[in-house]
Amino acid sequence: MERIIVDNAGKKFKIGFIKSQSALARLVSLLSGREPKKIIWALKDVSLKINPQEVVGIIGENGSGKSTLLRCISKIYKTDAGKIKTNGKIISLIGLDIGMQHRLTMKDNIYLCCSLFGLSRQEIKQKFDSVIKFSELQQFVNTKLYQFSEGMKQRLAFSIAVHCEPEILLLDEVFEVGDEKFKEKSANKIKELVKKGVSVILVSHNLSIIEKHCDRAILLAKGSIKKEGKTKEVLRAYENK
Amino acid sequence: MGKLKNFWQLSLALAKTQFKLRNEGSYLGILWYLLNPLLMFILLLFIFSSSLGSAVPNYPLYLLLGVVMFNFFQQITSFSIRTMDENRLIVKSINFSRESLVASNVLRTLFAHLFEIVLFFIIALFFGVSLKGIIFYIPILLLFSIFIYGASLILSSLYVYFIDIENIWLFFSRLLFFATPIFYSVSSGKLFILNLFNPVYYFITIARELIIYNRLPEFWLIFGSLIYSLAFFVVGSSMFSKMKDKFAELI
Repeated sequence: MERIIVDNAGKKFKIGFIKSQSALARLVSLLSGREPKKIIWALKDVSLKINPQEVVGIIGENGSGKSTLLRCISKIYKTDAGKIKTNGKIISLIGLDIGMQHRLTMKDNIYLCCSLFGLSRQEIKQKFDSVIKFSELQQFVNTKLYQFSEGMKQRLAFSIAVHCEPEILLLDEVFEVGDEKFKEKSANKIKELVKKGVSVILVSHNLSIIEKHCDRAILLAKGSIKKEGKTKEVLRAYENK
Repeated sequence: MGKLKNFWQLSLALAKTQFKLRNEGSYLGILWYLLNPLLMFILLLFIFSSSLGSAVPNYPLYLLLGVVMFNFFQQITSFSIRTMDENRLIVKSINFSRESLVASNVLRTLFAHLFEIVLFFIIALFFGVSLKGIIFYIPILLLFSIFIYGASLILSSLYVYFIDIENIWLFFSRLLFFATPIFYSVSSGKLFILNLFNPVYYFITIARELIIYNRLPEFWLIFGSLIYSLAFFVVGSSMFSKMKDKFAELI
């Protein structure tokens, strides 16, 4: 049974734009604080299927709809067309914003983020040591996050995400974080999860990461799938466009 | 049942976070929670005890209970109104129960409210008032919290679509403070009729009757508080659930 089925999915947004208006219309806009808006389709007729134990890479230029697709899959956004069906617990790491609070300690943040990912207090207690050990930040358990480097925060976020029992893991520019040793460790962790049946979607501008870890890839452009298939072929199509 | 447990645990975790964040680095910490209602109480007592409050038995306690209960209502609604916007990063990154953000505001304010009730208790002892009725504050507070939760769901969801609601609410809640018999008493006339449509009036009156005057409130007051709690909870929950799909893209 597929983990993710995306069937002709579409997502539209209203965005502000500069419109040539009369002086009166501009005055009305200024006073009311309302700007002219138009509709754009950030995703258009996107269809894909992802199976258990599959690692799929999504590439494309900025604004091509990669993060929007991840948000639609994780049901953060509701699609305006088509259907998305998922089977399994989704853990999304979209731009490291997993609710971490910089004025709180690492311990508090682990409890908060794991709660947001649906773990009970008992489950968090059981996994707490493992999260810390994996992130290799044992000596900073009671340190507030604003004193962490970006790399340390990334390691913590990644460690939390992989310990929250995902069945579908969505990673947006959050893979191969930290130093070389940690990069290898996180890659091995992903392989371990995939062996257990987890499906992973990697979104990255770093094509070597996609090439190294993905079974297949999808190229998005202007909200539509331009190419889908073996990673090397899709990467070639992206580089030659 | 499992979903409800998860919702409760997440709301509690968020409430703890907000509570810690608010007190982080503060020297007076939790005392700030008491300072606002306490100052308001002292000020109103000083101004009205010999005029509007002269005919009200146990006026200091009557006033303090009104002030702390209204403060509880005002704090939760004002925290909740911007809660989606303030938590936009997680709302845009993780699919979790959005309602728990509003519930967490109720829980953290509830915790702070307990200190206000302790203050009320101490002042009641000082005035030699029997506090046998204080036990009834638990069900009253529960119903009051359900009503406020419902009202906060309505406000927080409206804010995402209609940002002006914050200023409207600021004005309206100030108006409500003066319209509700907090520092004066009302038992007839236009203002009394107007207060029949004011849910806060029911909860404050019931609490005063039971706790300060050790009297059973009239049935219509109890019935009204139940109806308002239920109505706001149902309307708030259904409105929020219909509007929440667009939160992540509008904030």
